[in-house]
Amino acid sequence: MREAYKIEHQLQLIDAIKANDQVALKQFYVGNYSKIETMVLKNSGTIEHAKDLYQESFIVVWNNLKSNTFEPKNETALQGYLYQIAKNKWMDVLRSKTFKKTNTLTDETLAVLKQESNDDLDEEDVLNSRVKTVMEAFKNLGQPCKQLLTNFYYEKRSLRDLASELQLGEASVRNKKYRCMEKLRNIVLSSKS
Amino acid sequence: MYYPQNLKTLETNSNHISQELLETVERYINNTMTSEELKSFETRLQTDAAFKVQVDDIRTLLTGIESQALKEQLDDFHKAIDSNKTQNSQAKIRYLNVRRLVAAAAIVIAVGSFWFFNQNSPENLYAKYFTPDPGLPTTMSNQSNYEFYEAMVDYKQGKYKSAIEKWNAISQKNDTINYFIGVAHLADKNENDAILFIEKSVQNSSFPLANDAYYYLGLAALKNGNETLAETYLKQSNLEKSKALLSELLD
Repeated sequence: MREAYKIEHQLQLIDAIKANDQVALKQFYVGNYSKIETMVLKNSGTIEHAKDLYQESFIVVWNNLKSNTFEPKNETALQGYLYQIAKNKWMDVLRSKTFKKTNTLTDETLAVLKQESNDDLDEEDVLNSRVKTVMEAFKNLGQPCKQLLTNFYYEKRSLRDLASELQLGEASVRNKKYRCMEKLRNIVLSSKS
Repeated sequence: MYYPQNLKTLETNSNHISQELLETVERYINNTMTSEELKSFETRLQTDAAFKVQVDDIRTLLTGIESQALKEQLDDFHKAIDSNKTQNSQAKIRYLNVRRLVAAAAIVIAVGSFWFFNQNSPENLYAKYFTPDPGLPTTMSNQSNYEFYEAMVDYKQGKYKSAIEKWNAISQKNDTINYFIGVAHLADKNENDAILFIEKSVQNSSFPLANDAYYYLGLAALKNGNETLAETYLKQSNLEKSKALLSELLD
């Protein structure tokens, strides 16, 4: 990659992650995994634990970044934050009864991990339960709606762009999008009760 | 664009979210409200509790959609990590095979390109060296740069004409915009305009992409059949590919 491009890229990485830029997200995801895997493997966990923990933490960090709950000054601060959240979460797992039952030595591990940090899980370290409900509902939403809403809200593609791809008028894509949102909202409402 | 005439008239029946309200919240989140609209929106958020509940509900929906979409992508990202690892552990077994393949491929490429580029004509050199600049990462969150990045999206999708049009519409042009307009012109087979715009970008001696700019200027001149000019440009770029192209040109 070119030097000038790299510098620009670093300055923009945080903005790019917030805007769901695929290249930036992937780079950030791939680049920070190994450190967290090492932390989990050293502390009574498996590779599967590491992957689940990492993905969960990654989504939390990305959410906090987007909602401005966390405002990093640079890329390194963001990486540190991701690691901290993963570590706090892992301590939480180690403390849980189900984990203690199947694993020995966790108390000692916990003591070591605790020395390194004394933060406990904050409210901001976990995903809001209402967001989780929506995620579950969206996961099971019909494919055409899921596709359209993903294109629009996640990939940030314009209505005009989607209209030409679907060979529809812009107005009808706009209506479709609204109907899909209503569908999703109804699933959320019914799953709450 | 669909702007609600008056925010105060937006309904707040808690069981119903209107299309208008949804799109208003979208504008709020995307920072595309006019300052006037923003002001009245925020006032209403503070004074109307039912309205705030609805807006929060919509935000939760949008956050949930994006979170789940991201979640479903992470396993895909993870494959890049997994494949790195398997490559390392299997490296020894594959080593010989890969070496043989690479050697064979190198011979094929060498023979092929010797035959194909033997004449080193400007046309051939241009075709061999030209790939459009990959562009900048598109970040839509920054309002002031919105037009710039919107055009960048077009550019990356290969819609050069529409990208040029959008960049041209921006009244305050900086070096970066001129550079990308030029490169887009070049990709759109419009060498003369390309030179015109990229030249503007290198007027500023501290332009960070100057090396790339001179590289593309060299290519544009080459495409025009002006080899002497191409050489002059290429000599001012310290990129590896500029040097490579220059040496082939001088051959």
